[in-house]
Amino acid sequence: MEYEFTKEDLKEIEKIKAKYPEVMPATLPVLWVAQNRFGHVEPEVQRLVAKTLGLPEAHVHGVATFYTQYYKEKKGKYVLDVCTCLSCQLCGGYDILEHLEKTLGIKKGETTQDGKFTLNEVECLGACGYAPMLQITNDKYINNLTVEKTDKLIDMLKKDEEPEYEEIEMPLRKVK
Amino acid sequence: MPEVFIDGKRYEYEGEQRLLQFIQDQGMEVPFFCYHPSMTAPANCRQCMVKVGQPVKDRETGEYEKDEDGERVIRWFPKLQTSCNIMIADGMVVKTQETDDLVKRAQKDNLELILINHPLDCPICDQAGECPLQIQTYKYGPEGSRFEVKKVHKPKRVQLGPRVVLDAERCINCTRCTRFTEEISKTHQLTITSRGDKNYPTAAPGREFDDPYSLNTVDLCPVGALTSADFRFKARVWEMNQTPSIDISNGKGCNIDIWTRDNLVLRITPRFNEEVNDYWMPDEGREAYKRFNENRVSRPLQKLDNEQVNSSWNNAIATISEQVDGVDKKDVTIIASPHASVEENYILAKFASLLGMNPPVFTPHVEKGKGDGFLLTDDLAPNANGCRLLGFEEKSAAGIAAAVEKAKVVLLLSDHLADRGIITTDKLKDTFVAVFATNHSETTKNADLVVPITTAAEHAASYVNVDGRIQRTFPAKETKYSNRRLDLEMSEGRLDRYGTSFDNWITEENKIDCLPLWRFMSELAAYKGMENFAYTSGREIMDEIAAANDLFSGVSYEAMDEQSGITLDKTKTTVKL
Ligand code: SF4
Ligand code: FES
Repeated sequence: MEYEFTKEDLKEIEKIKAKYPEVMPATLPVLWVAQNRFGHVEPEVQRLVAKTLGLPEAHVHGVATFYTQYYKEKKGKYVLDVCTCLSCQLCGGYDILEHLEKTLGIKKGETTQDGKFTLNEVECLGACGYAPMLQITNDKYINNLTVEKTDKLIDMLKKDEEPEYEEIEMPLRKVK
Repeated sequence: MPEVFIDGKRYEYEGEQRLLQFIQDQGMEVPFFCYHPSMTAPANCRQCMVKVGQPVKDRETGEYEKDEDGERVIRWFPKLQTSCNIMIADGMVVKTQETDDLVKRAQKDNLELILINHPLDCPICDQAGECPLQIQTYKYGPEGSRFEVKKVHKPKRVQLGPRVVLDAERCINCTRCTRFTEEISKTHQLTITSRGDKNYPTAAPGREFDDPYSLNTVDLCPVGALTSADFRFKARVWEMNQTPSIDISNGKGCNIDIWTRDNLVLRITPRFNEEVNDYWMPDEGREAYKRFNENRVSRPLQKLDNEQVNSSWNNAIATISEQVDGVDKKDVTIIASPHASVEENYILAKFASLLGMNPPVFTPHVEKGKGDGFLLTDDLAPNANGCRLLGFEEKSAAGIAAAVEKAKVVLLLSDHLADRGIITTDKLKDTFVAVFATNHSETTKNADLVVPITTAAEHAASYVNVDGRIQRTFPAKETKYSNRRLDLEMSEGRLDRYGTSFDNWITEENKIDCLPLWRFMSELAAYKGMENFAYTSGREIMDEIAAANDLFSGVSYEAMDEQSGITLDKTKTTVKL
């Protein structure tokens, strides 16, 4: 499949490039532009980024593979990163993961047939205070998960309703 | 002059210098993997740790502060430093593993870390015997590992490109190979993929690592992760003999090492020469090792009833003598060769002049567009400038063809003119053509007499590169008439020196039945009763050339060895065509 940036993408890329004295540092943000456009940065997309920036393909590949947040293959529309690192594990992270595996009918690391969900097991996302938690497609955190909360989330996402950002009260420092 | 103290000894230095390089230049050692003198120092292997401090200066007076013993007060850097990327500074005090236990411990622990996921498969690894990781583990490493769980597995036997194979498990991620493609060959073909304990070098997906200099990464790799697709599993390094030589595949004259075993050349690697090729050479030059082994003319060939048959040396001598005497001297054309050494070309010219024949002519072997401004040149012959300096007339392709057509007898020195399309083979039909050749070709097939001569791997002889630098080879491979133990120019390998007769196997067929051109011509001269024409080595010929020809004054094998080549007068070597 041939990937092309849209006119708007290209305009944005120009803006990104203008921020740096050299082109190389633009690799990261431009990979984001690409991932937001195509949903992933497969080798073909990496090549497009390299061509657009005039950088070696190998360099873009090296950068893209360094960060797990760039998807080097096609993923579901919603990527659920379930944390099973220490705090989440103690508070039931694995239960949430297993529950999701059952409800979605896939194993961790897999994508549902309809291309809607990808399920991942990840290490600490820095939200230990409100464990267990998961992250949706490199973006929103869903905290203090329970089986019910998880089911509700899946139902919403199935209808393409995005959950709100959650505000968490900190014990010692009030948000706002 | 600024000073630096290393392990309690004072050294003076000049200019900007990296500490690790400076330590090595003083003949000392600190273990390292990722540093390379010709590339940037990212300091990622962490092996070259040393302890570094600076003397404390009184800000007011600018004097060094002294302790009660009158010694300078040293402020040590809070942590050990990587010596490869720290620049030496005036007054710096350095402690290496020789004098500091913490440094020793750090180096040992770092090796333990590097070896955690290393497969430790030295017995089946090509690099064993010339592996910095192996050597430094023996010297500075731990005796065992405390890591007793499963190692990380990574891709093995990955054909990165046509000539390079990767074993990612052996890789220690020093990034020398990727830096080579970024900084030296500038093809930017390699990168490190992934991160943590999963990373390894690779080309971009769907792309090949086909850099014309790709095999340099195999030499650079401090472990056995990158190996040569061609040389893989052919020999253990300690079984081979290593002989310094010169690349003859183009005009650059890269300095090389020829690696032989049982008189077969198994591989060619670059040899450091700052003036010519630094640490590098093109892949094409390495492939040229085959020319020394394969398709060689062994024993003289003579055409009888339109068919070439094996002949004898005596026959070859008698035939040439007869043919040359049978025609007018002016009807003999002698074609010298940019592919042959200065000595060989000189001998031919001297023979011609003593017999009153036309002086030799030659045509360069140039392919436009082959060069890349780095180590590949348009000139595909190693010694065109040598022919120019000897004063030979340089002819165009057509000029050579015309000279051949006119002649009744042609003496042709290792230049495959028919294969290069300069003459057509039917032009050779009515002329008597004697070829002095190393390898079979269309040209030798159509010759009336083929005299096998030694290659650059079998004789000591000099070649003048495109920049007018004269450099010489050493015999690396025995012929039927030479002997490693008797010829002091020849290198002896570990097995030659210490092996028993059970360790050394000798295949007679690998020794080619050929002679250095000067020996053959001396025999020929003796047969013809010529005087003052007896040469046994290239060395004496070079001495004679240097005495007779101003352009070569000061050139001798000793001088070339000492200075790793001598740059001759440039103005005399410019291309005329
Ligand atoms: S393959 Fe060799 S040269 Fe390249 S990073 Fe690994 S160890 Fe270093
Ligand atoms: S050589 Fe200094 S860190 Fe690798």
